[in-house]
Amino acid sequence: MCGVCGCADPANEVSMTDPETGFKVLLREDHAHDHGHDHDHAHPHDDHHHGHDEPNVHGPGGEVISLETAILGKNNEIATRNRGWFEGRGVIALNIVSSPGSGKTTLLEETIKRMKGAVDIAVIEGDQMTSNDADRIRDAGARAVQINTGAGCHLEADMIASAVKSLDPQTGSILMIENVGNLVCPAMFDLGEKMKIAVISTTEGEDKPIKYPHMFRAVEWVVINKMDLAPHVDFDEEMCRRNILEVNPGVKIFCLSARTGDGMDAWCSNLAELKA
Amino acid sequence: MHELGLARSIAGIAEEKAKGRRLKEVRVAIGPQACVERGALAFCWDLVTESTAIAGVSLGFIDADKDTFTVRELEFLEEA
Repeated sequence: MCGVCGCADPANEVSMTDPETGFKVLLREDHAHDHGHDHDHAHPHDDHHHGHDEPNVHGPGGEVISLETAILGKNNEIATRNRGWFEGRGVIALNIVSSPGSGKTTLLEETIKRMKGAVDIAVIEGDQMTSNDADRIRDAGARAVQINTGAGCHLEADMIASAVKSLDPQTGSILMIENVGNLVCPAMFDLGEKMKIAVISTTEGEDKPIKYPHMFRAVEWVVINKMDLAPHVDFDEEMCRRNILEVNPGVKIFCLSARTGDGMDAWCSNLAELKA
Repeated sequence: MHELGLARSIAGIAEEKAKGRRLKEVRVAIGPQACVERGALAFCWDLVTESTAIAGVSLGFIDADKDTFTVRELEFLEEA
């Protein structure tokens, strides 16, 4: 399926790599191939009649038919299936979104180390290229698979379905889905997660939430990372909190530094209290 | 950035629902929170429909509410 892949050139592929075995599978081949076989109607139409028992397409030409077909319908269907699977299995799936470089992977590494023995964490890493992040997660002591989206700017639900089959997260575990670093597109694509969590860092400025309101409206928690750098970059925490709450009044905010560990306790204890 | 994939989805839905009848215009309903850039979508539409069965079919926009993002109407050509 080609689906809603986004920004891909014809030579693009989406792949999944298990860092433990180095085993790599193609989730999507390039589009030139996909489109080669989806035109069932390539044959001429003048010799048979379409639509005679189809009330919508009756009548003379020039008519208009009404549809209300969700353009993201295919993704949403798979996301709904994922969500059902997570609920049935009792797995808490969290979709972590941010711009590149906010410290998502460092935050996950530290979270895994701190929660080891208490909660089992598995990670799906999304990046355009390389399996560096999945390697880091594995070194931190958790199971991970890497999805490379090629030119794609976000993860989609079918990629999560494939990754979940490979990871097989156990009942009571947390599945962290580290989305491609991008504050725009991932807001649109439901993966079947329990909730989205945005990570921003003090070096990005206080106005990120009002610059990218769609994303901050779509999340339930916001982590402000790199608080140790706040004094050096004149970060105004109060203003940042105000901006977050302006676009999303109900959101829960965590200020922390994954590097120094400040604020990590509150973050981890809130994670531990989540129910599938 | 994802408008190319969205255009591809719209084209797929239009082709499927038209069932081989010749289309004049596909109209999509877009809400203000749908995160869809109309200019980029129109640009991608021409790209993805070029040299397909629905080449030359125009893409129209209908204002909708919230995060609506659907294919709302198909308009067919007058058939001879």
